[in-house]
Amino acid sequence: MSDIRLERVTKRFGQTEVLHGIDLAAASGEFVVLLGPSGCGKSTMLRLVAGLESVTTGRVLIGGEDVTERSPAARRLSMVFQSYALFPHLDVAENIVFGLRVRRVAAADRAARLRRVAAMVGLAHLLDRKPAQLSGGQRQRVALARAIIAEHPICLMDEPLSNLDAKLRHEMRIEIRALQQSLGMTVVYVTHDQTEAMSMADRVMLMRDGRVEQVGTPDELYQRPATTFTAEFIGAPPMNILTPSGAGWAEREPDHAPLPAAASGARVGIRPEDIALADHGLPVRLHAADYLGADSIVTARVGDQEVVVRVPGRLRVRGGETAHLTWASEAVHAFDATSGRRIEASETQ
Amino acid sequence: MSRRALVHVYGWLLLTPAAILLVAFTHYPTVTTVVQSLFSTGSATRPSRFVGLDNYRFMLDDEVFWKVLWNNLWYALGTIPASIALAILMAVWVNRAIPARGLVRMAYFTPTVLPMIAVANIWLFFYTPDIGLIDQVLGAFGIPAHNWLGDPATVLGCIIVMTVWKEAGFFMIFYLAALQTLPPELEEAARVEGAGRWYFFRRVTFPLLMPTTLFVLINAVMNSFKLVDHLFILTKGGPDNASSLLLYYIYEVAFSFFDEAYAATLTVVLLGALAAIALAQFLLLERRIHYR
Repeated sequence: MSDIRLERVTKRFGQTEVLHGIDLAAASGEFVVLLGPSGCGKSTMLRLVAGLESVTTGRVLIGGEDVTERSPAARRLSMVFQSYALFPHLDVAENIVFGLRVRRVAAADRAARLRRVAAMVGLAHLLDRKPAQLSGGQRQRVALARAIIAEHPICLMDEPLSNLDAKLRHEMRIEIRALQQSLGMTVVYVTHDQTEAMSMADRVMLMRDGRVEQVGTPDELYQRPATTFTAEFIGAPPMNILTPSGAGWAEREPDHAPLPAAASGARVGIRPEDIALADHGLPVRLHAADYLGADSIVTARVGDQEVVVRVPGRLRVRGGETAHLTWASEAVHAFDATSGRRIEASETQ
Repeated sequence: MSRRALVHVYGWLLLTPAAILLVAFTHYPTVTTVVQSLFSTGSATRPSRFVGLDNYRFMLDDEVFWKVLWNNLWYALGTIPASIALAILMAVWVNRAIPARGLVRMAYFTPTVLPMIAVANIWLFFYTPDIGLIDQVLGAFGIPAHNWLGDPATVLGCIIVMTVWKEAGFFMIFYLAALQTLPPELEEAARVEGAGRWYFFRRVTFPLLMPTTLFVLINAVMNSFKLVDHLFILTKGGPDNASSLLLYYIYEVAFSFFDEAYAATLTVVLLGALAAIALAQFLLLERRIHYR
């Protein structure tokens, strides 16, 4: 059993409370991503699970057992650090088996496990190198290998990919996810990068200022954001959150740019990829276009509000042209103007 | 002049001030010392003359020389490992989050800041028979008074203790600086793996401190041959040369007995020994040290 549960956990540093009563449940074998902007408390939360920090109030349970007072080692978990935390004076092999030596695993067993794990992460030919002689991606693999070789059912990862370049990050995402699934590990993974969360997670817990904003599958967070914060955090470019009144909106053709009935007084959210340029709809002035290859991100203005649209292929915008935006009625999300909470479709009709 | 030559002139001009100081106060005296050690000490009636290695032969027969050399060896063995171990211990201790950390760090460093003459006077009071601090404290437990500095059996030990007290705080600063460059994640990673404090120190902290240890070691060795000021205050090398060290003996030979040639001979031996030790340390330890 390797499920993790946090019950009403708070954490205070001096006078500052950084976590305000958080619940978390990660089932055995689940890949849970803690997502949020920097300073939201996600790393602190991971350190509470690891036992590197102690909770102020609340309980931490692993496999149904209360481990709140236990040391990190007694929680039987592995951890991958953002800086990799490799021991610079030890070679790759010694870095990987560091924990096995601590726990006095027999030499033969140690060697066999090292061989297996090194092959798994593709380090077999680098075992006698020092960390300083490795590239960033290779160091990352050493850190992963050190976490895997322990054969602990739980692995905690604190922004493990943030020091890698974009291409490597993409490869490692796939690799980490594949490792997690083949080994059946429970992973809690901290990141501020929503792409990592969307592509790797079974479940995402989006945090904001020491509170849980929304928990759900990547699909749920994308399709049904509970708040404008979630809506703007998930997706790249982020969802447009608009106030459908004022200049420009009066000339809207409702057939081509539909809005929910309760839109008056509410704010509406429409994803850039759900909007198209057309001959009818909401009249806008085009401002600029970012060409990304497969598509272009076009910035348009309606009144003093900015709308971002994703259009396929290349679109040249000189600035100042007029155009019309159109979208399907299912694509529109409605949010309460003051609380920012989602208004369900059933409530609006 | 060509551009290339100008660059050389420019380079030499930049080097000149340092070179003048080095030559005037280090290289030239070293060379004259070596030369002087090959001549006899001159006097009004007998001028100095070339004697070859006679001074060295005399040295090998000089009992006092052997005595102070052994003293120096014991002094080095007594002060260096102890002060380094103590320095690491204090540095690891004050590197952690403890109450009044700044105050504790300062307290450990204070002996280093104090002038050696003042330190020696303080310890002179500690070691004074009957009325000194040590005898007073021991007397309270019924232990009879002892002339710590007057007894050849205890005098060198007394000086070693004082030197360790003086040096450890100085070396601590270097270790503290080195410790603060170690990323805290290393300790956290080790904690997650279940490594205890001692295990982590033995396998991670200590090896990563090795560059500092080499530096401190060389400094400590030099100091053990260099420190003499406390001998002037405490013992004047006595009793019966029991606390005399090589440099103090050189001072005595040169400025009390006015035997300049013999003093030069002893100096050459001291320089040679220091150079050999420094070289050995570099060659032996260098390969086993991890530099980042």
